[in-house]
Order: sequence, then C-alpha cells, then structure tokens
Amino acid sequence: MHLLIIGNGVAGVTAAMTARKRDVSLEITLVSDESDYFFSRTALMYAFLDRLSRRDLEPYERKVWDRQGIRRVRGRVVDLDAEGRTVTLDGGATLAWDRLILATGAGPRMLPLEGLDEIREGVVHFVTLADLDRCEALTPSTQRAVVVGGGLIGIELAECLHHHGVAVTLVLRDDRYWPTALPAEESAMVVARMREHGIEVIAGDTAFAVAADEAGRVREVRTHGGRVLPCEMLGVCIGVEPRIEALRTVRTAPALGRGVLVDDHLRTSLPDVYACGDCAEVESAEGERFIETIWYSARAQGEVAGENAAGGTRAYRRPIFYNSAMLIDIPYTTVGRSADLPPETPTLLRRAPGRPLSQRLLEGPGGELIGFIGLGSDWDHELLERWIREQRPVAWVRDHLHRARYDVEFRNVRLDRMDEVRVPLHGGEVST
Amino acid sequence: MIRQTIGGRLAHDIRNRGLTAWLLFGLLSGFYVVLYFGVDYGHPQTGVERAQAWLYGTFTVHLDAFGAQWLSFGSAESGLSYAGNRWTLYALLYTLAMLVGGAWMFHRYRHNPYQMVRTFSVLFLQVSFAFSVPILLKFFGHPEYYFSYLWPLKIEYLDPAHFEYFGEILVLYAFFASLVLTPLLGLLWGKRWYCSWVCGCGGLANTAGEPWRHLSQKGSTAWRFEKFAVHGVLLIAVASTALWFASALLPEGSAVGGWAEGTRRWYGLVVVAGLSGAVGTGLYPIGGTRIWCRYFCPMAAILGLVQKAGRFRIRVKRNMCISCGLCSKYCEMGIDVRAYAQANRDFVRASCVGCGLCAEVCPRGVLRLENVRRRDPQELTLDSLADGSWR
Repeated sequence: MHLLIIGNGVAGVTAAMTARKRDVSLEITLVSDESDYFFSRTALMYAFLDRLSRRDLEPYERKVWDRQGIRRVRGRVVDLDAEGRTVTLDGGATLAWDRLILATGAGPRMLPLEGLDEIREGVVHFVTLADLDRCEALTPSTQRAVVVGGGLIGIELAECLHHHGVAVTLVLRDDRYWPTALPAEESAMVVARMREHGIEVIAGDTAFAVAADEAGRVREVRTHGGRVLPCEMLGVCIGVEPRIEALRTVRTAPALGRGVLVDDHLRTSLPDVYACGDCAEVESAEGERFIETIWYSARAQGEVAGENAAGGTRAYRRPIFYNSAMLIDIPYTTVGRSADLPPETPTLLRRAPGRPLSQRLLEGPGGELIGFIGLGSDWDHELLERWIREQRPVAWVRDHLHRARYDVEFRNVRLDRMDEVRVPLHGGEVST
Repeated sequence: MIRQTIGGRLAHDIRNRGLTAWLLFGLLSGFYVVLYFGVDYGHPQTGVERAQAWLYGTFTVHLDAFGAQWLSFGSAESGLSYAGNRWTLYALLYTLAMLVGGAWMFHRYRHNPYQMVRTFSVLFLQVSFAFSVPILLKFFGHPEYYFSYLWPLKIEYLDPAHFEYFGEILVLYAFFASLVLTPLLGLLWGKRWYCSWVCGCGGLANTAGEPWRHLSQKGSTAWRFEKFAVHGVLLIAVASTALWFASALLPEGSAVGGWAEGTRRWYGLVVVAGLSGAVGTGLYPIGGTRIWCRYFCPMAAILGLVQKAGRFRIRVKRNMCISCGLCSKYCEMGIDVRAYAQANRDFVRASCVGCGLCAEVCPRGVLRLENVRRRDPQELTLDSLADGSWR
C-alpha cells in the first residue's frame, strides 16, 4: 500500500513518521515543492540572524529518511484524480496512491497595496525558504525597512532586520501589538521593549500604497494615517492562509472552505484522502469549524492523519490551547483561553514594578482558572493545563503559582513581590 | 551570510572555519608544540629541534624572559627550574584567557543567573586553586599541587611514585577527592559539578572558547566514536595506574618497573600533551571547544557513567519544541538535544557537562536542567492532602 503525502512541513512529516510507526510495510512518499528535506519553518529567523545555517534547520539527520523508508520527491501538485487514485506533478510525473494526505500548509496573506504592480523588488514575506533567501539578498542594500503586521512573524522579521543594522519601522493595524493574544498591559510591555531595542513602532495605522524607484525597488510606503515612510524593503506579515489554490482546479477536488474541509478524523470529502496542518479546516463533532495555523497543532494533526491513513481510527481533539514565544527577549507563555473572550472577563494581573514581568490569570464564571498569560519568565504549561482542566479556583492557583515556575536554576522569580490588580481582560481597572 | 562590516565578516570567518580560523588553529597548535616539546632549544640537533628552537625563540623567549622575572619572583635560589617558569607562564596566559572570556560571558549572559554563577565558579577556582595556590605552595617550598584537578585527569596524583614527594595529606586528599567526592557529587548534581563548575579545561572552553562552541560534531557517527574513544582512554588510565601500583608493590628491578616507566612517558606524551593540550585546545577554532572533554578525558568518562545513575537530567516540556535546532547547534558536546526535545523525552546523556546553554538559547523555554528524579515533585502536607492539590 502506498501512502502519498503532499507537503513536507511539520504536519506532513509527522504524518509520515506516525504512519511508519504504525505500519512498517507501508510505502511512503513525501512530495514538496519547497525543499528536499524537512526543515523547521519556525527557525527561519535564526537562519536570518546568522545563528543557524540552512542545514541546521533540518530536524533530522539526512540518513533518517532512508532508514525510515520515506521517499522524498520534489514537485508541485497540478492535478489530483481521486477515482484513478493518482496525483500529477508539474514536471509531468504521475504518482499512484492508495492513501493520500494533503499537508500543503499555509502561505502568506498579501496586503492590497496601490502601486504594487510597479514593484519589481523589495516587497517580502517571511514564511518560506525562498522568502529567507530574498530577505538575505536584499538586506545589504537596505538602510530602512517597513514591516507591516502585528503578530509573531512581524516582530521576528523586524528583529532580524534590526540585527543587521537596518532601521526598522513596525506598522500595526490595531492600536496595540498582537491584540488577539495579548491584553493591553502585556502589549504595552512588548512595544516598550521593541522601542528600547531600537525598533520604531507605529500603532493604529495601515499601509495602503507603495512607490518604486526607477529600478523598480520599493522607495516608500504610504499609510492611511498620512505617513510617508521611506524604505528599501517592505515586509508584509499579516498572517497566513491555507495553500489550496492548486486544489481548486484539479479533476476531483475535495470539498473546500477556507481550507480543505475535514471531519474530526481529518478525512476530506474524498475517500482515503486526509488533510492536516495549516491547510486543513476542521469540522469537529460538535460542529465547530476552525483552522489552526501554529506548529503544535500541525504536529498534533499530523499524528492523527498519519495514524488514520495507516488504518487507525483516531479523532482529533483540539487540545487546551497553549503557545509560547520569545518576544525580542521577553519569554511569553500562554495556556488556555485568552482570545475570543468577552472583554469584561475578570482577570488577576500580577506585575513586577518596572520590569517586563507579569502573569495574568483569567477567571471563568465559577471563579475557576480558564487561561494564563505569562511574560518575562518561563512556565510549565503542562501543570497550568492540568489546573485549567481541573478547574482550580484562581485564588488557589495564585497561591500555588510557584509550582508552575520553569525558571533556570538560581533564578527564582519572587512571586510574592508583585503588584496585583483585578482587572477585566480588556478595559480599565475595576478594583485593586 | 549577510554581514556587511569588516568586523562582522572577520567575526563570522573566525567563528566558522574560515581562513582566520585556520590561521588561529596553526598558531595555537604551534604554541602547544613549542610548549610541550621545545625544552632543549639551546643545542638544536635535528631539523625538528631547529624548527622548535626557531618557533620557541621567535614566539616565547621574550615572553618568557618577561614572565620569568616576576613569576619566579626573580629568585634563582628558590630552586625554580627553567621548565617551571615555562609552565607558570602558560598558567598565566591560560588564566588571562579565561578572565577575558569570562568577562565576555558575564556580559553576554547577565540575564541568566545559572551562567553567571557557573562562570564565577570556574574563574574563581582557576585564579585560586589552579594558579595562585600552586605558585604560593612552590614559593614556600611545598609541592606544587592543583587542588582543583583530580585523578584520572591529573593521573600522577594517584601514582605511587609521587606519593613521597606530595606527602601524606595531599595523597589522602587525592584519594578522597577522586574516589569519594567525585562519584558522590556526580550522583547528586551530575557531571556538571566538575566539568562546568570546577575544571580548568572546561573553564577555558566555556570562557575563551565560547565563540567556537557550535563547531562540535553533531550526528550519530561522532557519538559512536565518542563512546569508543572516551572509554578507551579511561581504560588506559585505569590500567596505567594499576601498573604503577603494581610496580610500587613489586620488588625493584622487575620488568613491571620498566613497563610503568614506559606508560608514564607515553601517557604523558600522547594523552596529556597531545590530546588534552595540542588537540584539545589547538582545535578550538576548527572542531569546537570540548574535543578533549568529549572524546578523551578519562575523568569525564567516569563522571559520565556516574551521571547516568544520578539525579541530574535535562527536562523537556511536552509538545513545546519547535525543532529550531538552536539547542543542538550550541551544544558543545555535540548532543543532538533537539532529537530529545522534539520527541518529548527528558534525558541524561553521559557526555552532557551541564553547561546550560541549550536551555539558554531555546526560544520556547523547553529545556531545564534539574537534579530531581521525579517530575513535578509535590510536598505532601495535610493541607495538600485535604484539598487534593498533591495530585
């Protein structure tokens, strides 16, 4: 039996490894239009910072693929025939399959910009290996850069450019940084750190036009707020969307929404065809529809799709959300819910005076912990997850918070010396 | 590689096996050849000796003349041999290199208390027990003794031929420190108590050698070689020591005495001068900093075995790794840390010296050095039993 996987990102590769673990006799092929070997997309910024080589981005030694019996093929899918059970690649090659997993990932979203047609050079994203090559090639000839986007990739690209001596302006559409993940107080800490670091931050504005010089290189960016920002590089980091364009025109397309529609077993509308990772739009048994575009979900979905394609019957359960990041040099950990909550959701905000160090405990209707946002120190997300699952009262969690610390030895963040306020998630202080 | 300034390019070049890195390698290796083998430069006979004399004359005589004056306290009467001066000068250069690298470490990792404490510890022990104390001991007519170096790293400390010279207190110390303290602390805190907190070899690697730590060989082939090599040297060290004890116990004039003498000479030449000095330090700019520690140090081999049985481990947060590879890249022992992190496995590797840089560079706070056997240790109190929080 042949398992064909389209996409060698973390979802596709995890699917391949999981399927191999379940079935040693399975023939497995990984197709990629981007790279010969699986690489860590989340590490692109460290390559740009010159801290990792391209080869360092590969999570597995190259001999692993032969040993695991996973064949790698370069190519872009141009056709899918679910009845004949074949896939055609852009080179003309046709691959037969018995089970197919679509893990095509997500691509950068583009900002509608006036004057974009005249630009031949200087507008970049920061999602693919090709983007990294472009950014590196452009950096030496760039003095000033504008980065549009108030999420993780935006801050990463800004930090990298700044590291290479480029004067960077980060333009945020909203009035603060990363509003879907961070409440105003935490956002302000991160923005303050960016500014201290030397990155200029403009909030509440959007770019609407670009202009090119004679050579077609970006010369300036104009914003709705009336700003004219001279620059030689414009980074557009306003999020990603499922890469499913190619699937819209194939002979037998699976049902598509914003992504490839799958049920809770990650099955598409086509028999024996699965989808996982950033390209999948999951419809859970409860009728909830969601696209998760983070590394951890892609891996978790890859495990389920790989297992099911190899004969398993696992359902994908959306885990308690968690994420982490390094925002310039501020560690960030979140567990549980923080997005999509009513602004009046009560929270307990604990801050260290004068330092970018805080914890916020989000409270459910019964006073139980439903979410956690920590900045400035490391946290054991597993223990916090357990407390959320067990619906521990916020007051109890507050008193036992030290148990979830994950600090380096000799640093014991003094949790008893923090200012505490009870505030709603979004909006002014209610009581202290 | 997109560094634009000349300084940036040079820094990249010397840190990434460029031309300047090879030049530095040549310089360091030449220095070690001269240091260990360039003794009798007064009457060069062979071509090699003449080359050594030239090297020695060009690079070290002036330094040595300068060093000899104030390191030997200017007294020929204190009984200092010429070689003694040379080693004191070497110790001075070594200590200075560590202090400069240490200052850089303090600056670079000022936000990380583990790195600060660890760096302070190696610097303090280098300046005191590995530099000042031996000089003072010698000055006051006592045997020159390095309390921070233990058998089998300093293999002659358990060689019966030297017992009379060291005296019973130092010999007792050597036995106690090597055979009791080493395994005991290793069980409690892992190998790092010695390799990252005390040892001068590790101290140089983790200070002056820091810019080259990422050059260590990763991959399973290097790992296989490491296991073979490091335990091989340990066997040789133990066998040599056994031979020396045998020759001390057996009546004089037996064949064992000759073999013992031979092993002393060869161990000194190959392991001490060759592997720990010329190869171990000379290769910094090409092969990374801990080549001696990882592949050859018999002390590290013992501590590694102890570590596997002890409490130290690196804890991995479940499902938090993004496989970026910074931990593997900056592991000076060539451990593929990422392989464990992305597989959600806490781990103990014999070679891990507990420098803590993997945890420091991790952008997602996945890794943590710990000295506990159990995960999430809970204090069992009546309160925690009552409210169920012990669970």
